[in-house]
Amino acid sequence: MLDWTIFAPTFLTAAVEWVEAFTIVLAVSLSIGWRAASTAALAALAALAAMTAATGGVLGLGVDIRWLQLTIGIFLLLFGMRWLAKAVARGAGLKALHDEAQEFASTRAQLARGDWTASWLIAFKGVLLEGLEVWLVVVALSLHGRAWISSTAGALAALLVVIAAGLVIRAPLRRVPENAIKFVVGVMITAFGTFWTMEAVGGAAAWPWGDWSLLGLGVFYALGGLALMAALSKRWTAGVAR
Amino acid sequence: MSPFYKTLFGDAATIAVTAIVMVTEVVLVAADQAAWAAVVVPAVVLAGTAWLARR
Repeated sequence: MLDWTIFAPTFLTAAVEWVEAFTIVLAVSLSIGWRAASTAALAALAALAAMTAATGGVLGLGVDIRWLQLTIGIFLLLFGMRWLAKAVARGAGLKALHDEAQEFASTRAQLARGDWTASWLIAFKGVLLEGLEVWLVVVALSLHGRAWISSTAGALAALLVVIAAGLVIRAPLRRVPENAIKFVVGVMITAFGTFWTMEAVGGAAAWPWGDWSLLGLGVFYALGGLALMAALSKRWTAGVAR
Repeated sequence: MSPFYKTLFGDAATIAVTAIVMVTEVVLVAADQAAWAAVVVPAVVLAGTAWLARR
């Protein structure tokens, strides 16, 4: 039975990362062909699958859950705050919106200067690095009730959707509203990170409303993030006008 | 910082903000102020996010 509270955030996070990975693979495929680019992507996905399996094995050995919660919680804070800050900065106009078309063009330009092996490695590295963030989220959210199936299913479903969409439109995936997804995922991941690190440091009684506090944190970060976006946007506009 | 470590840990500023959040949690819990921590820590996280966004 799928746990939708785990499936949804994993799916959204993975979708953003897979879109970025797919854009790189697409650009590489124009230089060395679909077959070679696909082998690089598959090799990277195999490495990620091995990492996920190994992590699951370590968790099964009965490591103290509080240490794991603390470690993964810190990773989630590092990851979530970065995403939330980026989404706020982009939403406020302080940074340019992430442009898949630009990434596509820069990868192609990079390829024009390299050879076949370099191209293959660019596709491999691209999928591996983007997939590392998916792996972090899969592992982190699996700790919540040991929901390995739900988090892995979310990541795999996102991968299939992105591949299917990519094959249909066969162009850089510009239409995905990346910043909105990044904002939502940043909120969720930051909420999980705060919840787990506090629970690991202060024990189960650290949160006055138990698991409901997670919802409260999500609402707080979402409203706070939107308020920040509005405040920074006003300040930026005033600065430009001056 | 190599792309691998940057992907895993983020940049120095994100690491610094996370360290401040963790120190705040540990200090408040050690001072037996866990109830306050539940209010203060999310505020520190949001303030850190604002600082990161403005950089």
